[in-house]
Amino acid sequence: MRLKTKYFGEIECQEEDMLRFPNGLFGFEEERDFFLLPFEGSEGTLLCFQSVSTPTLAFVAMNPFSLKPDYAPVLTAEELKAMEAERSEDLCYYALCVVRSPVADSTVNLRCPVVVNDQTRRAVQVILESGGYHMHHLLSEFGRKEEAASC
Amino acid sequence: MLILQRKEGESLLIGDDVEITVLSVESGRARLAIQAPRSVTILRSELKVAAQTNREAADEEASPLELLGVLKEQGGKE
Repeated sequence: MRLKTKYFGEIECQEEDMLRFPNGLFGFEEERDFFLLPFEGSEGTLLCFQSVSTPTLAFVAMNPFSLKPDYAPVLTAEELKAMEAERSEDLCYYALCVVRSPVADSTVNLRCPVVVNDQTRRAVQVILESGGYHMHHLLSEFGRKEEAASC
Repeated sequence: MLILQRKEGESLLIGDDVEITVLSVESGRARLAIQAPRSVTILRSELKVAAQTNREAADEEASPLELLGVLKEQGGKE
């Protein structure tokens, strides 16, 4: 299928790669279908969730584990059931990013990751109850691994 | 602001048709049962912040590609 995108123009996508969000995303409950598209040159660390129905709507996302290697999201039993998974570790996680200008002020939302079941292509955004993660982590928090212990 | 204490099993009323009952309190978590008319919206308050954060995320101020530079500088990836 042809897909009009915010960042990559019009591209060809395989329908079986489409992600289904039965509940949409917080604040965007009507948006149910997305494609996860990587930015070239990021080696999979920088991606975006492109809405199928709204070409101008895309959420920039990061691999939270490359930012914070000890990131350990834990889903509730209910969330796991809805995602048809037995363990939190069996699912994929992406953190949405607020891109600011200057770009060093950008933040990443580790508390509300987008969770994807690779097998079923079902996806959901959750609010983690544990782990002490926040919705606005400054990107500058990460990188210097030893000093970033405050969060 | 009104502050009051309730034990497990006790409830309180807000107006005529909203009743909140404390079902249990365990390790710092209260389980609540809320009885209210369908027209009353009930949201965990963090949901509102999550939606606002998503709206900010959908409205970026700079090109996401600039993030690549920041990520590489920090050496966040091995």
